[in-house]
Amino acid sequence: MTTKTARLTGSIIRYVLLTLLALMIIIPILWMLSTSFKTEPQTYEPKPSWLPDPFSLVAYQKFFSTYSFGRMLINSLVTCLASVVICLVFSCLAGYGLTRFRFKGKKQILSFLLLSQMFPSVMLVVPFYAMLSKIHLTNTLFSLIVVYSATNVAFSTWLLVSYFKTIPLELDEAARVDGATHFRIFYNIVLPLVLPGIAAVAMFVLFNGWNEYMYSSVLVSSDRLKTITVGIIALNSQYQIKWNDLMAASAFSSIPLVVLFVCFQKYFIAGMTGGAVKG
Amino acid sequence: MRRLTSQKKLENQRPGYAFVAPVVIMMAGLLVYPMLYGLYISFFNTNLVSRWNFVGLKYYIEAFTDPEFYSSVLLTLEFMVLVVAGHFIIGFYLATQLNKAFRGRIGYRIIFMLPWFFPEAVVALLFTWILNPMYGIMNSILNSLGLISTNVSWLGSQELAFPTVVAVCIWKGFPLVMTMILAGLQTIPSELYEAAEIDGVGKFAQLRYITIPSLKPILKTVLILDCVWWFKQYTLVYTMTAGGPGTATSLISLSVYGTAFNDLRFGKGAAWGILVFFICYLINILLKAVIKDDD
Repeated sequence: MTTKTARLTGSIIRYVLLTLLALMIIIPILWMLSTSFKTEPQTYEPKPSWLPDPFSLVAYQKFFSTYSFGRMLINSLVTCLASVVICLVFSCLAGYGLTRFRFKGKKQILSFLLLSQMFPSVMLVVPFYAMLSKIHLTNTLFSLIVVYSATNVAFSTWLLVSYFKTIPLELDEAARVDGATHFRIFYNIVLPLVLPGIAAVAMFVLFNGWNEYMYSSVLVSSDRLKTITVGIIALNSQYQIKWNDLMAASAFSSIPLVVLFVCFQKYFIAGMTGGAVKG
Repeated sequence: MRRLTSQKKLENQRPGYAFVAPVVIMMAGLLVYPMLYGLYISFFNTNLVSRWNFVGLKYYIEAFTDPEFYSSVLLTLEFMVLVVAGHFIIGFYLATQLNKAFRGRIGYRIIFMLPWFFPEAVVALLFTWILNPMYGIMNSILNSLGLISTNVSWLGSQELAFPTVVAVCIWKGFPLVMTMILAGLQTIPSELYEAAEIDGVGKFAQLRYITIPSLKPILKTVLILDCVWWFKQYTLVYTMTAGGPGTATSLISLSVYGTAFNDLRFGKGAAWGILVFFICYLINILLKAVIKDDD
């Protein structure tokens, strides 16, 4: 009886604590949505109301008409998807190579993957700018694709290496006996088995690119090529900040990723689980 | 337990190079070379265009006596310790809870991962708005609860700006730590706990002798990554306070950026950037030494 009550209290305490913490996540997000449906005067009420009254879509309309955020969304999308593809191709090959073969320098490569996480982006941005302007590539989305791929490839490889490790070598050996080439084994046998890991890494790189600000703000200057984060932060530095517009832009630029995550969360968590088993 | 491929059985063959070459070339060209180029720049007093005066190690030597550098590094270390501690306390608690079976677990798991998927720029702006001294909802809530009588300027006050920024950074960053710990927890076989339960081992002892040792490798890696990532934090803090008021939130990345792009002292900025890298490297060495691996 007493253990039962203890268990019940334990579970009540858990729900209360978890719900309190969950509210601290949810309330700010709801506040963003609520503000985004207000009109500008409504955001200057001395006592802010939780629900927009009247409910207005004006900030979302301005998202496309006044600020041309549509263009920026496409820029971000193109840049991120391209860097995801490049990152995946490179890091899958490396993940296979680093777990299937013994060769000189392998240990150094593995430790460099982690070491590169210590390179400050504020340090890399100047050399990137200098290098890319030398070959006239600044102010192109291509420059961002290159930089995002480079800055993410090490960590993606690191995640994928631990994922490739979980696939038993016996599979490779069996295929070798049957006369399959290394590339065939990689492409037809091992790759399908690491798909959850690949999905997780893809989302990771996508989020990093979507999130990125510094490289994008330095390497791209023309309005036509701005990415979404740069566009949003630029809105913030205007003389008169329109919070409803800003929150609409924030919501609109985050929701695609949130939806993507909720749809694929099972994959994502499974992938991270596989990848994170061993550092 | 998960099966790990043994090193002995690996083929000692050349094709390994072919698979690894693309990544190595990319990292050499786009990470190592720029880093070395940065090192080169750091020996010059330069604006990258017209002025290239060799100054040797001047900026490095100066950094060690420059109070601005010192205080910025110390502030960033303090920031890193607080933020990472927050991530681990919340992340560890949530991961252990979410690892148990209970109704609504998936829902909670999705909610607690949400901050990860909002870009830093968005999180920064959202909290700037929530904490707005005049029209923000935070002051309004605290007011109606009777906790404050006058509006608080969270990001504008010398004393409050730093803790506020730390809190927002904890909000943004804990999901990653939580997910990694949760991932680690799921690899611990439940038989271990069942056996401990039968032997009458208490919950705390289970945590001490099963959970923590099993998680050690992953905790170590996540700790190192979280430390170096947040030591280099830029976007969130830049957007919320731009380092102010005064130098209250002037993290090292903001100082480096300001030195390079506002003062156009690229050599000095590069030198400081290299020092940031070394500090991150030291943090990594230190943590590796403190948390020893058993294997």
